[in-house]
Amino acid sequence: MAQSDTAAVSLGKRTVVFGAQLFSSPAGQKLLAFGSLIVLVIYFAFASPAFLHIDNIIGILQSTAVNGVLAIASTFVIITGGIDLSVGCLMTFCAVAAGMVLSSWHLPLWISIVAAVGVGALSGTVSGTLVAKLKIPPFIATLGMMLVNKGLALVVSADKPIYFVDTPSFSQISQGSVIGYILPSVPIPNGVLILFVLAFAASVVLNRTALGRYTFALGSNEEAVRLSGVNVDAWKIAIYGLGGAICGIAGILIASRLNSAQPALGQGYELEAIAAVVIGGTSLSGGTGTILGTIIGAFIMSVLTNGLRILSVAQEWQIVVTGLIIILAVYADILRRRRI
Amino acid sequence: MLNKTLMTALIGTAAVVSLSSAPRADEPYIPLVSKGFQHQFWQAVKLGAEQSAKKLNVKITFEGPETEAMVDKQIDMLAADLAKHPNAIGFAALDSKAAIPYLQKAQAEHIPVIAFDSGVDSDIPLTTCATDNIAAAGEAADKLAALIGDSGDVAAVVHDQTSRTGIDRRDGFVKRMKEKHPNIKIVSVQYGGGDHLKSAEITKAILQANPNLKGISGANEGSAIGVLIGVKELKRKVVVVGYDSGQDQINAIKSGEEAGAITQNPIGIGSCVVDSAVKALHNEKLPKVVDTGFYYYDKSNIDDPKIAAVLYK
Amino acid sequence: MTPLISVKDLSKSFPGVHALSHVHFELVPGEVHALVGENGAGKSTLMKIVSGVYSRDSGEILYNGEPVNFLSPRAAQDAGIGIIHQELNLVHHLTVAQNMFIGREPRGRWRVFLDEDKLNRQAREILERIGLRVDPRAVVGGLSIAKQQMVEIAKALSHHSRVLIMDEPPAALNAAEVAELFSIVRELKAAGVGIAYISHKLEEIKEISDRVTVLRDGQFVATVPTATTGLDRIIAMMVGRTLSETLRIERKSPQSEVALEVRNLNCAPLVRNVSFRVHRGEIVGFAGLMGAGRTEVARAVFGADKAQSGEIVVHGAAVRIKSPVDVVTAGIGYLSEDRKRFGLATGMDVESNVVMATLARYLSLKFFLRKQSIRESALAFIRLLNIRTPSPRQEVALLSGGNQQKIVVAKWLARNCDILFFDEPTRGIDVGAKAEIYRLLRTLADEGKAIVLISSELPEILQLSDRIVVMCEGRITGELMPAGATQERIMDLATERETAEAA
Repeated sequence: MAQSDTAAVSLGKRTVVFGAQLFSSPAGQKLLAFGSLIVLVIYFAFASPAFLHIDNIIGILQSTAVNGVLAIASTFVIITGGIDLSVGCLMTFCAVAAGMVLSSWHLPLWISIVAAVGVGALSGTVSGTLVAKLKIPPFIATLGMMLVNKGLALVVSADKPIYFVDTPSFSQISQGSVIGYILPSVPIPNGVLILFVLAFAASVVLNRTALGRYTFALGSNEEAVRLSGVNVDAWKIAIYGLGGAICGIAGILIASRLNSAQPALGQGYELEAIAAVVIGGTSLSGGTGTILGTIIGAFIMSVLTNGLRILSVAQEWQIVVTGLIIILAVYADILRRRRI
Repeated sequence: MLNKTLMTALIGTAAVVSLSSAPRADEPYIPLVSKGFQHQFWQAVKLGAEQSAKKLNVKITFEGPETEAMVDKQIDMLAADLAKHPNAIGFAALDSKAAIPYLQKAQAEHIPVIAFDSGVDSDIPLTTCATDNIAAAGEAADKLAALIGDSGDVAAVVHDQTSRTGIDRRDGFVKRMKEKHPNIKIVSVQYGGGDHLKSAEITKAILQANPNLKGISGANEGSAIGVLIGVKELKRKVVVVGYDSGQDQINAIKSGEEAGAITQNPIGIGSCVVDSAVKALHNEKLPKVVDTGFYYYDKSNIDDPKIAAVLYK
Repeated sequence: MTPLISVKDLSKSFPGVHALSHVHFELVPGEVHALVGENGAGKSTLMKIVSGVYSRDSGEILYNGEPVNFLSPRAAQDAGIGIIHQELNLVHHLTVAQNMFIGREPRGRWRVFLDEDKLNRQAREILERIGLRVDPRAVVGGLSIAKQQMVEIAKALSHHSRVLIMDEPPAALNAAEVAELFSIVRELKAAGVGIAYISHKLEEIKEISDRVTVLRDGQFVATVPTATTGLDRIIAMMVGRTLSETLRIERKSPQSEVALEVRNLNCAPLVRNVSFRVHRGEIVGFAGLMGAGRTEVARAVFGADKAQSGEIVVHGAAVRIKSPVDVVTAGIGYLSEDRKRFGLATGMDVESNVVMATLARYLSLKFFLRKQSIRESALAFIRLLNIRTPSPRQEVALLSGGNQQKIVVAKWLARNCDILFFDEPTRGIDVGAKAEIYRLLRTLADEGKAIVLISSELPEILQLSDRIVVMCEGRITGELMPAGATQERIMDLATERETAEAA
C-alpha cells in the first residue's frame, strides 16, 4: 500500500481541490464572471480618466437596462434547454402596443403598461404552445414568432414610429430618476432601477417557486419530469409566457427611453441577450443558470463596449472583441463542465 | 482555468489596440456619430472626414449603429463620446428628440456640435452640413420632366415620410413639378422604406394601375433600385430617375436602364463636418447650413472625375 | 386474499409489432413476483401499462378487485402504484429531496413560494426509514449510480405505494449493493407491499422472489413458484428451448506471448500505479466494485483519457498514446460500458455502424463511399455474429440490446484489433444473447486475440476468465486463478480499501 501523503502535500491537494470545486460550482462560475467584470472595470478605469466619470457610469447603466431585461427573459427559456429568438422583435411589438394605447387611443398610462406586458405574455404563451404541444423545436418556433412579431409591429404602427409627445410621464418611466430625487448627486435613471428590481424578483421566482423549480427540472431531464406525473406542457407554456411578459417590460423601457416606439428596431437584440446569458454562465444545454450571472454577463458586454469606445477603438474592432469574449465565455463553460 | 497563453495574448492585444487608439494630447479630438456604419454612403462620409482630419491634424473617430432604426444604440454612442470631453462633436440624428438632452449637455460644456445629413430639430448645432434635398429633388423633377417631353403621368417612390430627407425629397419633387411643369401629373407617391423588394412591389402596383405612366422617381438608393426591379419585371418602358449611387445604380445608368440620378456629396459632407468643427474651435462664425452640394449624373458624365469622386460603390 | 393487481387477457400492439397478446399476471400483497423473459418479450410493456404510462388495447386490469384504467402515470401513482424504470428517472440538476417530491413540492408562504425546509425534512424521514445514508440536499447528478437507484426507491416510497414495480433494478449494482437493496425489499414485503420485479439476473430472482411469471414473444407462458422450480426450467420456458449448460467450458490455454503490457499507469483521479499483462489467447477478467477504476484503466490505455504517466507495450513495442487514433492503429479496441452513448451512432443503420471505424477501406478515390462493399462486409459480420436484424439498413436504435452489442463487436473486429477491452458487455442483455456473447468471447480468444473483460457479474468473470484481476479504488489489489477463486475471495480483494473504514 502506498505511503500516506505528508501533511503539507495533503493540504496542498485539498486547496487545489477546493479551488477547483469553487470555480466549478455555479457559485464559482458567478465568481469567475464577476471577477472578469471587475478586471475589465479596473482596466478601463486605468486606461482612461473619462471612464469612471459619474456621467459615463450612468451611461453604462442606461445602455445595459434594455438588454439586461431581455436577457432575464431569455434566461428562463434557456435554462429549460430551449431558446427564444423572438425577444427582440417582441419587445418592439410590445412597445408599439403601448404606443397605440397611449398615443392613438389616448388611454391612461397604466393601461398602456398592461397592454405591453399583456401582448408580451400572449406572444410568449403562443411560443410555448408551439414548443410544448406542437413539438416544434424552440429554435424554429421562436424564429417564426420573431417574424410574426416583427411584421405585426410594422402593421399596427403602419411602418411609422409612434411618438409619446402628449404624455411626458411615460418617458419618466425610464429616464426619470427616483434615486436622483432622493440623492441628487446620483441620478441613476429609473430604467436601471427597474432592471435591478426585476432581476431580484426573477431570481426569487427562479429559486423559490414551483415555476422556477420546474424550469431547472425541464432543462435537466424533461422525460423524467413527465414520467413523474408533472404537467410538463402546462409549465413550459407558462415559462415561455413569463419570458414574453418580461419582454413587454423591455418594450416599455425602450419606448420610454426613446420617447417613441420604433417599429423597425429590435431584430438583432435577441442575440445580444443570449450572449449576456451565456457569458453569465448559463449553459445553452439547460438545467442550470442564475439571474445574477445573466446580469453580470450583460454588464460585461456593456462595460466592454463602452470602455473600448472611451478608448476610441474603431467600431469594427469593438465588434470583433465582443465576439471573442463570447467565444471565450463559452469555452470557459465547456472547461468547467468537463470537470464535473 | 483558461489557457494561460491565451489569456496573455488577449491582454496583450487589448493593451496594444487600446493604447494605439487613444488620442494624443496635442491633437484635437472630434468624434463623429453617424446614422449608419456599414452602408457605403456612410463609409464615403467617413472617408471625407478622414481626409479633412489628416489635412487639419485632428483625430477623429467614426461610429454608427448597425441599422438606422437602432436609435438607442446611437444614443449610447453619443453619450459615451461626450463622456470623453472631445473638442467638438459631429452628429447625424436618427431621432432629434431623443438626442436633445445630450446636445444640451454638450452645449453646457462648451463642446461645439456640428450636425450633418439630417439635421437636428434644435438650434444647438453651430451648423449643419447637408445636402439641400429640396433643391436636389427639384432638380430630379426637372430632369425627369425633360426626359418625358414635359407632359404625362409620373409617380414617386420615397423611402419614408418621417425623416427629414424623406419629407424634403418628396416635397421638393412635388413642388417643382407643380410649379414648373403643369402638364405633368403625379399620380402616386408611395413609401417603401428604402427596401428594394418593397419598393419593387410598390412600383409594380403603380404600373399596373397606370398603364400610361411615363416616369418614376426613386427618392433614395434602395427605392431607386426597387423601382428599376419593378419596371424590369413588368417589362414596361418607363423613365427612371434615382438618387444617390451604389454599384447597382451605377450599372443601371451605364447600361441605360436608368436615365440618371442625383448624387449627394458624401465625401463633401464628411470633410465639411471636420472643417466646420475646426473653424468653430478657432471661434470663427459659421453659417446655419452648409449646402454640401448635389449633382445630376447620367451616362454622359458618369466618368467625369468630379462626379466619379462623389459616387460610392 | 384479494390480489393487489390482477391482469387478465391483456393485449397491446404498437405499429407493426404485437407487444403483448392475452397476457395474465397477478400480484398479491406481501409478495415479490418476478417477471422474466428475453429482450422484447414484453415485460417492460406490461408493467408500463399497469403503471399508466401506456394504454392497453384489450383485456382488463383489476386493482384491489376493482377494474381500473389509468390514463396517466400520475393517476396510477396517486392510486398507489409506483414504478421504478430501467433508465433512472431522476433530474440530475436537482437535489435528492427535490427529486423525491417533484410535482408535490410542499408550499410555503401564500402557496406561491416553496418550503425547502419542509421538503428536506420529509425527505430525510423517508431516507432514514430505508436506511439510505444520503444528504437530501445532495445534487443527484453527483451521486453514484447505486445511490441514484436507491433514491428512486425512496421516491417511490414517498408516494405510499401499495404496489412497487421494479424494472431491472440491480442492473448497475454490485453484490454488496444488491444485498442492501434486497433487505429493503424484504422490509417492504413485510409491510404488505406487493412488488413486481423484472430482471435478467436469474440467480437474484431465485433469491428474492416468491413466484415467477415467464413471458415469451409477448405471450404468457406460465407462472411458477420460485422455490420449487429449477433455473433450467425457467430458462427453457423463456427461450422455448433448453440451453446447453452454462458451466465453464474448457478451451485452448492462453499462449505465452504477451500481447499487451501496462506498466505503472497513472491517470487522475482514479487510476493509480496500475500494472498488468494480457497474453495472446487469454481472457483476463477485471473484477471490482463500482467506481473501482476498471473502466478508467481501459479508457486510459485506450487514450480516451489523458494519462499522467505509465508505459504501454504492445507486442513488445512501446506505444505512445495521445488519442484513440494511436491506439486503434496499434490494434487495441474498446467496447464501452454505455454502448448507446459511446459505441453506436444510434440514429444510423447497421452497416454504417459496422464500418464506422474502418471507413477508409471503403472509399474510392479516397472520397466516395463504395456502398456495395460496405453492404457485403456488413452482411458477412451479420452472419458471423448471428446478429438478428431485418436488414443491414435497419436503424440501430430499433434493435435489442444484445444485437446492438454484437454490432459494436463487429465494428472492432472489422478493425482487426487483436487486443480488445470489453466493458460490461452483457449488461441489459437477455440470457439467450448473453450465451452468444460468451461464445463469441471464447472464439475470439481461441483465435489468438487478447481480451480484457470488465464485468460486475462475478459468475460471468468466473466462467470466462483465464485469470482474474481485482481492483479497488484505482489500485490492483490482487490476481487470482479461476480455480481457486470464489465470490467471497474476490469480494475481499475488491473491498481492500486504503484506509480502514467502518463497515
